[in-house]
Amino acid sequence: MNNTLNLLIGLAMGLNLMALGSGRLPSVIRTVAIQGMVLGVMPLLIEEHIQWLALAIAVGTVAVKGFVIPQLLQRAMRAANIDREIEPFIGFIPSLLLGAGGTIGAVAVARVLPLLPEHAGSLLVPGALASVLTGFVMLIGRTKAISQVCGYLILENGIYLFGLLLLKATPLLVDAGILLDLTVGVFVIGIIVDRIQRAFDSLDTRKLTILRE
Amino acid sequence: MNVILETVLRLAGWLLIAPLLPGIINKVKAWVAGRRGPPVLQLYYDLARLWRKGVVLSTLASPGFIAGPAIAWVAVLCAAQLLPLGPAGAALSFRGDVLLLIYLLATARFCTAWAALETGSAFEGMGTAREVSYAVLAEAAMITAVLSLSVHTGSVTLVTMLAPAAGAGAVLLGAGLFVVLLAENCRVPFDDPNTHLELTMIHEVMVLDHSGPPFAAILHGASMKLLLFALLLTEAVLPVGELSPVAAAGALAGGVLAVTVGVGLVESLLARFAFRRVPLLLTMAFLLCLFALLVAWKGGEA
Amino acid sequence: MTPGLLLFVAACALAVSIVAGPKFPRVWLALVLVGTVSLLGSAVFVLSGAAPAAEWRFAWAPGGDPIHLRLDGLSAIFVALVSVLGGAGAAYSLTYWSDHHYPRSAPRGRAWWSALVLSLVSVLVASNGLHFLIGWEVFTVSAYFLITLDRGWRQVRAAGWLYLAASHVGTVCLFAFFSTLSAKTGSWDLGPLRDRADLAPLLWVALFGFGVKAGLFPLHIWLPSAHANAPSHVSAIMSGAAIKMGVYGLMRFTGWLPQPSGFGTAIISIGAISALLGIAFALAQNDLKRLLAYCSVENVGVITIGLGLALLGASHGHAAWGQLALAGALLHVWNHALFKALLFYGAGAVLHSTGTREMSRLGGLWKTMPWTAALFGLGAAAISGLPPLNGFVSEWLIYLGLFDSVTGRGPTAWAALTATLFLAITGALALATFVKATSIVFLGAPRTKAARHAHDCTPGMRRPMLVLALLCVAIGLAPLFFLPAISRAIGTWNPAWANIAPAAPLATLTPVQVAIALLAVVAAIGLSWYSSRRGVPRTGTWDCGYALPTARMQYTSGSLAGIASGWFFWILQPEKRLRRPRGFFPLESIRLERTPETMLERVIAPFGGGVLRVSTAVRRLQHGHLQSYILYLLAGLATMAGLVLVLEVFQ
Repeated sequence: MNNTLNLLIGLAMGLNLMALGSGRLPSVIRTVAIQGMVLGVMPLLIEEHIQWLALAIAVGTVAVKGFVIPQLLQRAMRAANIDREIEPFIGFIPSLLLGAGGTIGAVAVARVLPLLPEHAGSLLVPGALASVLTGFVMLIGRTKAISQVCGYLILENGIYLFGLLLLKATPLLVDAGILLDLTVGVFVIGIIVDRIQRAFDSLDTRKLTILRE
Repeated sequence: MNVILETVLRLAGWLLIAPLLPGIINKVKAWVAGRRGPPVLQLYYDLARLWRKGVVLSTLASPGFIAGPAIAWVAVLCAAQLLPLGPAGAALSFRGDVLLLIYLLATARFCTAWAALETGSAFEGMGTAREVSYAVLAEAAMITAVLSLSVHTGSVTLVTMLAPAAGAGAVLLGAGLFVVLLAENCRVPFDDPNTHLELTMIHEVMVLDHSGPPFAAILHGASMKLLLFALLLTEAVLPVGELSPVAAAGALAGGVLAVTVGVGLVESLLARFAFRRVPLLLTMAFLLCLFALLVAWKGGEA
Repeated sequence: MTPGLLLFVAACALAVSIVAGPKFPRVWLALVLVGTVSLLGSAVFVLSGAAPAAEWRFAWAPGGDPIHLRLDGLSAIFVALVSVLGGAGAAYSLTYWSDHHYPRSAPRGRAWWSALVLSLVSVLVASNGLHFLIGWEVFTVSAYFLITLDRGWRQVRAAGWLYLAASHVGTVCLFAFFSTLSAKTGSWDLGPLRDRADLAPLLWVALFGFGVKAGLFPLHIWLPSAHANAPSHVSAIMSGAAIKMGVYGLMRFTGWLPQPSGFGTAIISIGAISALLGIAFALAQNDLKRLLAYCSVENVGVITIGLGLALLGASHGHAAWGQLALAGALLHVWNHALFKALLFYGAGAVLHSTGTREMSRLGGLWKTMPWTAALFGLGAAAISGLPPLNGFVSEWLIYLGLFDSVTGRGPTAWAALTATLFLAITGALALATFVKATSIVFLGAPRTKAARHAHDCTPGMRRPMLVLALLCVAIGLAPLFFLPAISRAIGTWNPAWANIAPAAPLATLTPVQVAIALLAVVAAIGLSWYSSRRGVPRTGTWDCGYALPTARMQYTSGSLAGIASGWFFWILQPEKRLRRPRGFFPLESIRLERTPETMLERVIAPFGGGVLRVSTAVRRLQHGHLQSYILYLLAGLATMAGLVLVLEVFQ
């Protein structure tokens, strides 16, 4: 079971890098959706006895992260009529190398951290760190609002992975809360995206610097 | 006596089987597109035809224009002899032979590039610039892949390195090596062997001015290189060295066939990438190999 | 005939040649050749084991210390190198820098040449810190005068000054190193001090001092301009032998002193960075000799990777791969000297016949300079590390060491892993660089009139190139033959490794290399013969049917390297100037690209400028007005008093 979990986390790490490397918005959104679904399955693997609540959360996560949010983003993209090419601040190869370096660094750092013995062999902590790092690289290195939302989603996936560590300690309600926040956040961003598009004729967040006064 | 016979057999195998691969790729592409396509043996006919033809040289070309393809062909052939064939082993095996293999491929690249630049044509210059630049990333990925096999088996000899399966990182390594294969053999999405738009090519555009027997040497060398990479990929992923001779032969043939069909499918389903995206894909191949290396490392520790 | 006698003969011959050089060129050449051949003889004696490593002590004490000389395995490697390049360069210079062309500087150059060779050897055999420093200084100064032989040119003088200044920064460190060493040991005498752990930190000072001379990144700032602007035979010995003195110093003292912690990792990292960035800069150059100069940074980096790994092996007790790495490094010292000198002689021949080093003004030279083209091509293949030539053998040994270190999974594996990746990228970039260098200069169509009317080098210049090319091929085809010499040097560096044979199957590699070479030659000749069986019609380049290709349509050095050097724009910082053609009848359009020496122009020059500005501002205080000086006194006193008061209050 631990092996399956590690495999899934490894897959999520790979998806991080794919998100950093892909140059078109739809494929980034798709990557993030797949990552969300992969993460959504994980509670089922961690819980020894599958309760209906865990099942519900897993189904909810998969549905929201895998279908609802990507749909919203794609709608926003279509509605705002966005150019699908990503123009990065940090080029694709540098951000890919940064992400890979971050992933390797996360694995190395996680060995030093004082973890519980049952978490020592698992990739949960490195995976979480790597996702958070990737999220930050995307937030810093991309100019389009939608790709920044994707970065934010990856960041949140990292936090979710951290949350899995505490699955037994925290009520699943907290996770549900996070998920709800996220959905609302994406709603809001979807609206903002539309507004930005109307106001500036572009979704380039660099143009927001006009508002600094 | 036995040794001589074996060597002759190996050489004959490499020389005769290699031109089959491009034929299979073309057949797969034709099949996907719903055409009948050229016969599988087309490259053999082409080689025979070219070998009978004469040569036309550019006024600018030096003797290196013909010597280059010849030396490149020898280099690929020698590199192929270092590759083990399952339980049959390699024609020649020693510690560090894997590095000789990589550097022989580099020799081939040097000679092809030299011959390409002989004619002073801007097209060939363009192809060479791409070839030698992308090779930097491909070679980094290749060395990393080799290093991961080395770490996995604790050896620097091809026979030992390729005998067992690549372990937990096999998928990563296989994917990385497959991308390197596509890049090094100038297949889609790096290069389009079918296009006639010279501006968009790498390898084809480097050999524009070659004709006759030297061109036959280039084409045959390219097919041997493809076979070499397909075998390397198969043996890196499958535990060919640990199977019985019959099973190993089957696995090798099946593996090479699968790789070839895979190349054909990729070629049918994907379009060639824009050149600015090529380094990105090669960096991904490098990272795949790097993660395979780390997995091999981790696997050895546990 | 003992090594001592041979060394004595060599010293006498070289000393006499300093005096005879300016007046009698042929006598000078004979004397230098006698000197270098006997030097080579003494080195061969020691390296082949025919004579043991020798030490000589004399009663004569210049500078207050008795002379102490030593010729052991390690110094013999470098003596052999100096002798080959010293002799070959002398022969080359006689026609390249002849009295006829340079009536004023050629005589001077011959005297300085002998002085340089003599001082290089004196550094190598000196076993006394004081004499080492004297020899080092003489070598630095004579190299300066050789670099500035053609001092009519402003950039030559500037390159000379930069070299002199940078060298002396390094020499200051060496002064500190040797004087601290002598203060701690109580004598200027040098020798193995492996059990004095308190001396270990001194190696950091030595690293800086020798690193400047070796041209390790980022201490290489003097190297490109000095090597590019010096006469080519001087560039060759500077690149082949003089910067190896830095390597020699590092090898010598890492062998004699205990290493501080982290030293091996530092060395291997510096080596990896030098190798990668050196070749990145080389790739972006448009000046043939600057390209070769940057490539020296790369090769010294490769050697340093080997040395660093050997240090790691020594400190962690891994004889097997430590030895492989050191063997690779030592062999690369030789190999780099041979092919780099060959390439510089080739570049010199091109410069001699066309008058330009700018690659984009050359092209198609193989027709008029077939010998130079063939030999340069051979050197280019060798320096790219292609089998079956010599560059491959040394890189292969270093790679084997690195791979063994990684598969050993020790604490050193991470450093080795990173170095392997750097070395792989470096190797492929070196190939791109030398494909570019040879093809732009020698292949295609001539781009200018000067290139069309070139002439091949004279036999006097060709012979030394042939000797070097033969040595390159010989080391490539028969590495086993040179292994005992390398093993002896390894034994000198670390006596614990003296009697273990390196774990590299050179006995198998040797016939393989020979077979590859034979097959390649047979195939090349066979295919050429078969292709020409029915005559070969010659037409213009097909060029996809374009009817009027001109020489200016060819790919240039900048465009050929554009893709790969674009990946390094963050360090190369290329300066671009572009004026596009405008209007219906565009008059002029310009595209200029130059790769500056980033470390010098973007880091050190601004810093130096800042220091200069600050000191000019401070100097304004000193203007000769007595009244103001009294004011300074008063202000100073007041400040002191204020300070005391404040301190009082706070206590």
